[in-house]
Amino acid sequence: MSKHHLTSVLSAIALAATISLLPVASVAQSDAKADAKSGKGKAAQKENAADFQSASTPTPTGPAPKMPDGKPDLSGVWTPGLSFTQLGQVPLQPWAEELYRQRRANLSKDDPEGHCLPAGVPRISPFLQKFVQTPTLLVILDEGNIHSYRQVFLDGRPHLDDPGPLWMGDSIGRWDGDTLVVDTKFLNDKTWLNGQGLPHSDELHVVERFKRPDLGHLEIEITMEDPKAFTKPHTFTRTYLLRPTWEIQEYVCNEFNIDAEHLVGK
Amino acid sequence: MTFNFKATVATGFGLFAAVAPMLAHHSFAAEYDSAKTVTVKGTINKLSWVNPHAYVFVDVKDSSGKVTTWAFESLSPNALSRQGWNRNSLKQGEEVTVEGYMAKDGRPLADGSIHANSRAITRADGRKVFVGSSADDVPSK
Repeated sequence: MSKHHLTSVLSAIALAATISLLPVASVAQSDAKADAKSGKGKAAQKENAADFQSASTPTPTGPAPKMPDGKPDLSGVWTPGLSFTQLGQVPLQPWAEELYRQRRANLSKDDPEGHCLPAGVPRISPFLQKFVQTPTLLVILDEGNIHSYRQVFLDGRPHLDDPGPLWMGDSIGRWDGDTLVVDTKFLNDKTWLNGQGLPHSDELHVVERFKRPDLGHLEIEITMEDPKAFTKPHTFTRTYLLRPTWEIQEYVCNEFNIDAEHLVGK
Repeated sequence: MTFNFKATVATGFGLFAAVAPMLAHHSFAAEYDSAKTVTVKGTINKLSWVNPHAYVFVDVKDSSGKVTTWAFESLSPNALSRQGWNRNSLKQGEEVTVEGYMAKDGRPLADGSIHANSRAITRADGRKVFVGSSADDVPSK
């Protein structure tokens, strides 16, 4: 995301937060009516709506939860907020730079996400992710772009013996103190690293370091190396926010994806 | 559904302005022309609660009485539900004014409706209900 675009978005958030304060009374009133009429469900809906409206929604505070074995528990419904756009300047080889230029010139019309294909790793979209952790397995459920999932094996197993290119890769994890280090390989070269078309090859190797410094935050330091597409490894960070009152919901992208035939680019 | 509209009035602008550009699963600029804006006044034909985008169908009558149906792409049902909407949030026959952007290819949808992307919906009583999706999703650089 360009600095200009980020500034625009942040300005919009500030403006939205200001304006959305005005009609609070009418919401409360109408919610009360709705609650009386239809019982439970509306209150939670209101909370969700309020939660969603503004980046200033307070994120829960408190200590990070622990597993029975003392390791941090990363479970929860997380929103990437705006962090899904934060990749930094990835050092591309010339062929990858040219491909990136072409994809931008085409206004991203061929983005796999527009065709309801998985986002890949480490690309995420603004959609929510649900983490479910056991002592031997971390499951990451994506609400979108399609209902894809990642299994991160924590039982000490090695990587698969070349399972062929995968959309979400093969992931194994180990603990480094309170940091979960997840190693992902065998990714295909079809996914884009961002919405503008940042490319990678099938030799992309991703190491994610997950930390939960408190209840409400998940900090992820991501290092990508790709000897076929990058000139050197690249590291960036993202912070997800906990949304304790939200749930991931059904999202069947191919139901009515008429966009695919109307994406014309320039 | 008074509840939904009031809730949306309260939350809609914040959602639209801050988050809508980030919610689409496809590039806005590859499908819609941000320079080709349109405003139509008509009545709700239906709110189509489908993925990956809900569609708002609006019937527009010209001076001769001929009715043309417009299809405005909106947010995903999930994004709409998180701002208090449901599939009944727009009532059939309700008068609305919709502002939006035309599709670049100028082709109608399979049912013949005119294809556009909604930016704002205003009810007959003047209250503005923002929906919209994905405008400015892809920065040019």
